[in-house]
Amino acid sequence: MTMEEMRIETETNSMVSMTLYAVMYPVFNEVMCAERENPGLTQDIIMKILEKKNVQINYTESLLRMAADDVEEFLVDRPEQEFQDLNDKARALKNILSKIPDEINDRVRFLQTIKDIASAIKELLDTVNNVFKKYQYQNRRALEHQKKEFVKYSKSFSDTLKTYFKDGKAINVFISANRLIHQTNLILQTFKTVI
Amino acid sequence: METEPGIVSPFKRVFLKGEKGRDKKAQEKTTERRALHTFSLSLPDHRIDPDILLNDYIEKEVKYLGQLTSVPGYLNPSSRTEVLQLIDNARKSHQLAGQLTSEQDAVVSLSAYNVKLVWRDGEDIILRVPIHDIAAVSYIRDDSLHLVVLKTAQEAGVSPCPSTCPDLSKSMTLGSLSESGAVLVEVCCLLVLAVDNKAAAEELCLLLSQVFQIVYTESTIDFLDRAIFDGATTPTRHLSLYSDDSSSKVDVKEAFEAEASTFSFQGSLEAGDNSPSPSSTPASPQTKTASEGELSTTATELLQDYMTTLRTKLSSHEIQQFATLLHEYRNGASIHEFCINLRQLYGDSRKFLLLGLRPFIPEKDSQHFENFLETIGVKDGRGIITDSFGRYRRTASSASDSTTNGNGAVRGDGDVGGSDERLAPSEGDEWDRMISDISNDIEALGVSMDQEGVTP
Repeated sequence: MTMEEMRIETETNSMVSMTLYAVMYPVFNEVMCAERENPGLTQDIIMKILEKKNVQINYTESLLRMAADDVEEFLVDRPEQEFQDLNDKARALKNILSKIPDEINDRVRFLQTIKDIASAIKELLDTVNNVFKKYQYQNRRALEHQKKEFVKYSKSFSDTLKTYFKDGKAINVFISANRLIHQTNLILQTFKTVI
Repeated sequence: METEPGIVSPFKRVFLKGEKGRDKKAQEKTTERRALHTFSLSLPDHRIDPDILLNDYIEKEVKYLGQLTSVPGYLNPSSRTEVLQLIDNARKSHQLAGQLTSEQDAVVSLSAYNVKLVWRDGEDIILRVPIHDIAAVSYIRDDSLHLVVLKTAQEAGVSPCPSTCPDLSKSMTLGSLSESGAVLVEVCCLLVLAVDNKAAAEELCLLLSQVFQIVYTESTIDFLDRAIFDGATTPTRHLSLYSDDSSSKVDVKEAFEAEASTFSFQGSLEAGDNSPSPSSTPASPQTKTASEGELSTTATELLQDYMTTLRTKLSSHEIQQFATLLHEYRNGASIHEFCINLRQLYGDSRKFLLLGLRPFIPEKDSQHFENFLETIGVKDGRGIITDSFGRYRRTASSASDSTTNGNGAVRGDGDVGGSDERLAPSEGDEWDRMISDISNDIEALGVSMDQEGVTP
């Protein structure tokens, strides 16, 4: 028996992973249900754990750094190129936004990041518009509303940057960037739901 | 010749009188010179309040040695050797001042818009360089000489490279052959100043650095705003100005006005704020909902956004001038005239505002307009920072589809962007009336801002 075969046999026969799907998956599902009923509950739990463990981190900044990861719930699972583009552009925007904490202290690099964010926003909106043009949906209003919300939060992000360059408070930029990432996810979720 | 005490030789009297006269004159000149418009700066990085650079200016005393033109653009401003070689050659050939005397005394005036150089005595202007024309600033200490060198754009842009041009091989890779066969290279200017000491040089460099920060930060945010604007206003339907979803227009208007800190005409008139810098005022609804209701959200937002931008970038007098030019264009003035006059009105620092006019230019004039943008260096972000991929695309000009000009030509023959839809004359008339109303509002805004200015 080769090492690889031994490894596979161990994995398939081992009971240790049973804890994950027997215990944790139900917990995750319960947390998700509870979050739907009480938005913000998950954040409260995390904050309390951090407080209990006396972990000194900037939660908003950490959230922003982690927010670029793909979430299954927010991916449009249609094979057509336009929808794959939508996923790609959304991912690209979230990636750039998540880099803000690393770039914000270097003015030159931060300005370059802002330019990249601008292009990413434009490309995402162009992709959304392409989908609108190509496909006529009955529930178009929901999609258009979500697009408008995204634009609104983009403008808010721009205003936050203007304020940041005056008062230097980076935390507000992180908060605004998180909101923009959330709106990006909602666009994907809306497309996923409607189509 | 012996002289008695108390009696001065006539020869000495004349000679010394001349010497004393010159000294006295120099002293009088120094005492007569006006005080500079300056501010105390926070050490050690000589920080200055950005508002001073945006809304005011700061002056520093320098010596102006001269300006070198047709310098190869590939000159490395960080290379002490390269720069000094050029300066030494220029001084030898008397292109730059050799000895430094009070004759070179000048004043450099810094703001977020330009660097202006005037003679210390007489205040005659030497030159003015817009900030976006400055490529680099260098400080070179050459023994007791403290030089501050500004590498700037040259108007012509390219010129034939003379045979004496050093590093000709380098220029051949950068340039191209002109019709005459001469190698063309990109050229620049070097503005050479001298200051008293290292501290003064560092102060000047740091001030310029702060100016760059302000300008390029503003440009970057403008780029972000334009990208959002473009993406938001690109039509989602087949190039129709009219939305059949009237309820969503109200939602959009509220959404746009609730969150973003923008002006509205009513808000600005009530606030009485005639400062060019933007501030947050609560937006109030437009009164023209009846007419706006007949135009799509896209067109209305385009207009509102452009008016908002003008409000923050132009003075009251300039807004009136803009309204006049728009009125003239719509009543028959050529697109060429319109472009030239607007370019003059906006100047170098605000020429990017021309980009915002794209949606309002009728299709028949759009080619000329685009060519014009290219010649003045604002098309595709040239002259304005683009992103790292140089992305900035023209959006579909939905608003121009039915714009009429003074000739009364109504578009609508269906050849816009491949759309099969035709725009009815009434839709074009509605748009035309909207533009008229907007022009009148702009003029009224300018007048009201003037009145607020004189009201105690």
